[in-house]
Amino acid sequence: MATLEHAGSVPRGLRRADESVRRLPVLAWIAGWWLAGRAVIVVTVLAVHRFGPSGWIRHVAHAHALGPLEAWDGRWYRMVADSGYLLVPGRQSDPAFFPLFPALLRAGHAVGLGYATAGLVIANVGFLGALVAFHALTHTLFGESMARRATAYLAVFPFGYAFSMMYPESIVLALIALATLFALRMHWGWAAGCAAAAALARPEGLFVALPLAVLAWQQRHALSPRARGLALGAVLAPVAAIGSFSLYLGTVLGDPMAWSQAQRAWGRAFSPFGVIHAFEGLGRAFTHDAWVARDVVAVVVYLVLLAAAARAGVTWPWLLSGLVIVVLPLFSGSFDSVGRFGLLAPAAFWGLAALGRDPRANRLILGLSLPLLAGAIVTLPLHFP
Amino acid sequence: MKASGVTLGVAGAVVAAVLGAGWLVQRTALPAPAPATLAAVRAATWLQRYRLVNSTFSIDGGPVVHGQCLQDWFQTGGHRNRGAALQLDDGFVLLAVQPHTLVSKGGSAAERSLSPLVLMELGGCPRVLARRLDTVAQQHRGVTLANGALTFALKGTRVTLTLEPGTGKPLTLRVVTRDTEGTSHIRFATVTTRVRQLLSRELPVYGS
Repeated sequence: MATLEHAGSVPRGLRRADESVRRLPVLAWIAGWWLAGRAVIVVTVLAVHRFGPSGWIRHVAHAHALGPLEAWDGRWYRMVADSGYLLVPGRQSDPAFFPLFPALLRAGHAVGLGYATAGLVIANVGFLGALVAFHALTHTLFGESMARRATAYLAVFPFGYAFSMMYPESIVLALIALATLFALRMHWGWAAGCAAAAALARPEGLFVALPLAVLAWQQRHALSPRARGLALGAVLAPVAAIGSFSLYLGTVLGDPMAWSQAQRAWGRAFSPFGVIHAFEGLGRAFTHDAWVARDVVAVVVYLVLLAAAARAGVTWPWLLSGLVIVVLPLFSGSFDSVGRFGLLAPAAFWGLAALGRDPRANRLILGLSLPLLAGAIVTLPLHFP
Repeated sequence: MKASGVTLGVAGAVVAAVLGAGWLVQRTALPAPAPATLAAVRAATWLQRYRLVNSTFSIDGGPVVHGQCLQDWFQTGGHRNRGAALQLDDGFVLLAVQPHTLVSKGGSAAERSLSPLVLMELGGCPRVLARRLDTVAQQHRGVTLANGALTFALKGTRVTLTLEPGTGKPLTLRVVTRDTEGTSHIRFATVTTRVRQLLSRELPVYGS
């Protein structure tokens, strides 16, 4: 039976309806993986809530059944949403946390949700959106089988528990994927909006500018002068979004660089020799807190996955943005949280999908991911993600 | 030429729109910090900036006393730790060093019977006040601002800090406990070698 898309005379509305019908099984398949991954997380969190360990997040872990998911940075995002930004010089303070997620928390609160509920709903529904956008992007770039594997791996990736926490990572990943999808389809206005929003949620959003810049360059002859302007604007939009954050902090706190100052108090002071200090201080960091080993492993895993992505033909802008996301934090002299930061490097998951081409490797990746995901949740009270 | 002008113009408009819309979203969606918390951070910044504070205070309407509080490193129990030394002009000296050193000598029996915390607050010991101000500011509760004065609680004492208009610099302190009340005028000063030498003569332990 011929599909409606081949029938040129069929009205556009009907063609769209047909496309939607064809997408339904894919969407259901993505929702299934989303549900599987989130079910592992929820069940493990309930077990952590009931049986411990209580660790550092005792107060939130026992506040309610999903308490561990609103711990660590979730507390800071909630504080910004509730009371606004405040820079306390020399102390860890909240301008280090970018404004989009607290703004969404506030919107959720305005419609009657508690901050914790709003945060968890936004993060988890956002992750479903991220999976759909990521699948569409991967399908466009590499075809269906790669898209399926990469999406499934992303849904159950061990560090991916952060996507279910009161953190903005899921929203940022969705926005990065959407920005490049829109750019691929030459909807540069929408691409600009998504790229700006990604940078307003996490500094890693800035690096979506790299693939956007290359796409804009590749499309330059096909675009009208106005569309070229939109494309250039989209490339610059993440920087402008961070500029708007500075502008806002300048208005309310009188210090446009308050976010950078606060980052320093969180141990994120970047220096050219920071990466050397990170390696030099590894022994000391390990003696102080053995959990640093987890983030060192994360760096190695992400670098291997990016190498696999390079071998599989992933283009350099994606590889470079992934590399920057994984390696740049080391220039602050620390390995902390790289496991979480790397979640925003789509190329890493394309590398994993390339490794999973072999059916045995595919089974191994999926077989290991689920227990590792559950294990990672158990460590949540003991160390920040 | 005209085409590149259009391209740059549109790109500029997109950047301006992102800047404007981003700012507007933050301005409308996020609450501004309360004036009391901003004033507390400002006052704490003044207190963090100086290590030496001169004070003039009286307790329960008693005689006026002049004091000097220095934040420094002190040698106690074989370790160098941060602490505060408060010296009053009647010879009373109080030394509080982390984690467990609290010693006093000299002065009147009334002074020795007073809470060391009250004396350190009235003496304007900067880190004691700054740390508390930072904490209450960051919690966004427990601090109020009325008529240019910040009021907050610190371990059973109620402290009211009058601020200089414009700069937010702490000028006077009022400390109230269940059975004591004192007022103090404080002035920030720069630590000199002479000040440290004079203090070191009086203190039971010192080192830097």
